[in-house]
Amino acid sequence: MGFRAILTIALLLAIWPRGTGATAAEIVEPPGPEQSGPFEPLAIVVNRSNPENNLSMVELRKIFLGERSHWSNGRRITLVMREPGEPERKTIVRDVCGMSEDQLKIHVLHGLFTGEILVSPKILASPAGARKFIFNVPGAIGYLRVSDLDSTVKVVSVDNLWPGDRDYKLRVPTQAGY
Amino acid sequence: MARKLKFAQQGSPGSRMSLPDRFLRLLDRFLIGALPIKPIVLVFVFCCAVTLVGVLVVGDLGNANAEAKNIFTSSIQGLQSIGDLQYDAQETRRATLYALTTKDSNLQVMYADQSRDADQRVKDGISKYSKQAIRPAEVQLAERLKRDWDAYLAIRDEVLASILEGSTKEAVNLDIAGGVPAFELVRQDLKQIKHAYDEDASVRIANLTAVSRASSRKLIFVLCFAFLLSLAAVSAIQRGQMLGTMRLANLQMEFVASVSHELRTPLAVLNSAADNIADGLVKGDAAMQKYGAILQNQSRRMSTMVNEILLFASTEDRQNRYVLQRVPIRAVMESVVTSTQGLIHEGGVTLEQYVEPNLPDVLGDLVAISQCLHNLIGNAIKYGGDKKWISLTVSTAPAKDRGEEVRIAIADRGIGIDRSELAHIFDPFYRSPRVNGTQIHGTGLGLSLAKKIAEGIGGRLSVISELGMGSTFTLHLQVARNDDGEQATPVSGSATSAHS
Repeated sequence: MGFRAILTIALLLAIWPRGTGATAAEIVEPPGPEQSGPFEPLAIVVNRSNPENNLSMVELRKIFLGERSHWSNGRRITLVMREPGEPERKTIVRDVCGMSEDQLKIHVLHGLFTGEILVSPKILASPAGARKFIFNVPGAIGYLRVSDLDSTVKVVSVDNLWPGDRDYKLRVPTQAGY
Repeated sequence: MARKLKFAQQGSPGSRMSLPDRFLRLLDRFLIGALPIKPIVLVFVFCCAVTLVGVLVVGDLGNANAEAKNIFTSSIQGLQSIGDLQYDAQETRRATLYALTTKDSNLQVMYADQSRDADQRVKDGISKYSKQAIRPAEVQLAERLKRDWDAYLAIRDEVLASILEGSTKEAVNLDIAGGVPAFELVRQDLKQIKHAYDEDASVRIANLTAVSRASSRKLIFVLCFAFLLSLAAVSAIQRGQMLGTMRLANLQMEFVASVSHELRTPLAVLNSAADNIADGLVKGDAAMQKYGAILQNQSRRMSTMVNEILLFASTEDRQNRYVLQRVPIRAVMESVVTSTQGLIHEGGVTLEQYVEPNLPDVLGDLVAISQCLHNLIGNAIKYGGDKKWISLTVSTAPAKDRGEEVRIAIADRGIGIDRSELAHIFDPFYRSPRVNGTQIHGTGLGLSLAKKIAEGIGGRLSVISELGMGSTFTLHLQVARNDDGEQATPVSGSATSAHS
C-alpha cells in the first residue's frame, strides 16, 4: 500500500458523510418540500460539434462518474456541473450517478487521486454560464432545464427518450415563476 | 465735357481719333441713348456677370464642403473604424489570455464571452470595410484581413476550449504555435489598411486645401471685380445723367434762341410796318391794305407760336385730361382740312386724300385730334422739300390689343429723318442739327406735342422715314365701341388749343 492509498483512506475517513454503509438506494434523498410541486425535464446537453445524439443511462452514469474520459470522436470529455445544492445537480447526482452529494465528492476525489479521473468537473454558477461553457468546449457535457435551452448547445436523448417524452426520467422541480 | 458731347454728336466716324477718344465717344453715344442699349442694361449685364462668378464661387465652396465631408466620412471615420478594429482585435486576444489567469470556470466563461463579443465587433468592422472597399487593392486587403482573422479565430477557439477544459499548458502551446503568428498577420493587415487610410486622407486634405485656396482666390477676384464694376456702373450712370442734363440744357438754350428769333422776326416786321404807318409813309388804300395784310400775317404767326408754346405747357401740366367720346372720321377730316387750308395754300402744297369708305367712328377728342394732325401736316409742309406734295390716308388696320384701329397717315416726300435721330424727334425742344443749319424755323415742340396729344386720347403716333426720301407719320386711333357715348359735333376753324 503506497502513500497515495494511505492518503486516500485518511481523506475518506475525514469527509465520509453521515449514514455510513448505506446503499445507493438508501442514500437517495427523498423528495423535499421543494420537490413536491410540478417538475420539468432536465436535458443532457453537449457541444454542437459533438457527434453523439443519444446516450444510454449507463453511459451517462459512466460519464458523470468520470469512468469514461473521451467521446467517440476522440475529444476529451469535460463535465459541467452546477454548484452543490442546486436542484439540477441533485437530480443528476441522484438519478444518474445514484449517489449522494458526499458520495460523489468522495468518488471524484478518489478518482483524481487514483488517476482514474483526469479532470475534475467544472462547476458553473448559473445555467447561462454552463450553457456558454458547453458552447465553448467541444468535448463538454452538462445538463440544463428545458427552459434554459437555446440553439448554442445540442440536446442528446437518454435511452432514446427526449426531454419532452413522457417516460423521460430526468426531471427537476419547476422553479418559482415557471 | 460739353466739347466731348459736341464731338460725340458731330464727329465723323472716319476722323482720326485716339483709342481713349474713340472709347469716350462710344460711351457718350451709349449714355445719351444713341445706341440701342441703355445703362440699365449695362448694370444688368454687370450684375449677371457678378452673379455668375458668385455662383461659381459658391459651387467651389460647395465642392470644398463635399470634399471635407468625404474626408470625414471616408478617411477620418475610416481611421476611427480601423482604430476600433485594432482595439477590438486586441481585446479578442486579451480576453482569451485573461482566461488563462484563472481557474474559476465562471470567470473563464466570462472572458470567453468578452473575447467572442470583441470578435463579433471585429467581424462587423471587416464586413463594413469590405463593403466600402472599391479599389482592387482595398478589396484584396479586405479579403486577406477576413481570411487571416478567420484563421486566428479558429486557433482562438481551440485555445479557449483548452483553457476551459483546464488544459492550460496545451492552451499556451497552441497560442504560441498558432495564435501569435496568426494574430501578427491580422495586426499587419490592419496596419496596412490604416496606412492606406492615412495616405488617402493626406491626398484628400491636400485636395481640400487646393480647392479652398482656389475658392479664396476666386472670392477675392469676385470682390475686386464687383467693386470695380460698381465703380464703373456708378460712374457710367453719373456720366449719363450729366450728359442728359447737358443735352437738355443745350436743347433749352437752342429753344430759347429759336423762339427769340421766331418772335423777333415778326416783331421787327410789325415794328417797321407800324413805324411806316405812323410816319405817314404809307399812302393810298392799296398800300394800306398791303400793310394791313403784313400786320395780320405776322401777328398770326406770333399768335400761332405763342399758342403752341402755351399748349405744350398746358399738356405738360394737364396730361390725360381729355374727354374721350365717339368721333366720326368725317368730322375729323372736315376739321383738319379746314384748319390746314391756309397753311396748304400758303405753302403751295398739293394735298392728296385717300379715305377708306365706311370707316368706323373713333374714340377721342375732336379738337385734340385736329390739333395733332394740324401739327403733323404743318411739319410735312415745313420739311416737305421741293416736291410740295402731301398725302393724307385714312384706313383701318388690326390693332395690337384691340380688334381694329383707324390710322391717319400723313406722308411727304421731303428731307426725311436720319435713323439715329428717330429716337429723339419726339423729345421736347429737339431739333435736328441738319434743320438747325437751314432756314426752316421751329420750336422743337410740334412733334412732342402731337405725341402727347395722341397718347392723351388713348392712341399713339408712329413714324417711318428715310433720309432724303420723305417721312410718314401715322396717328393710330381707337375705334369707338357701341357703348362709347355720344358723337362729337364737327368743328370748323383752327384747332390750336387742347381740350382741357
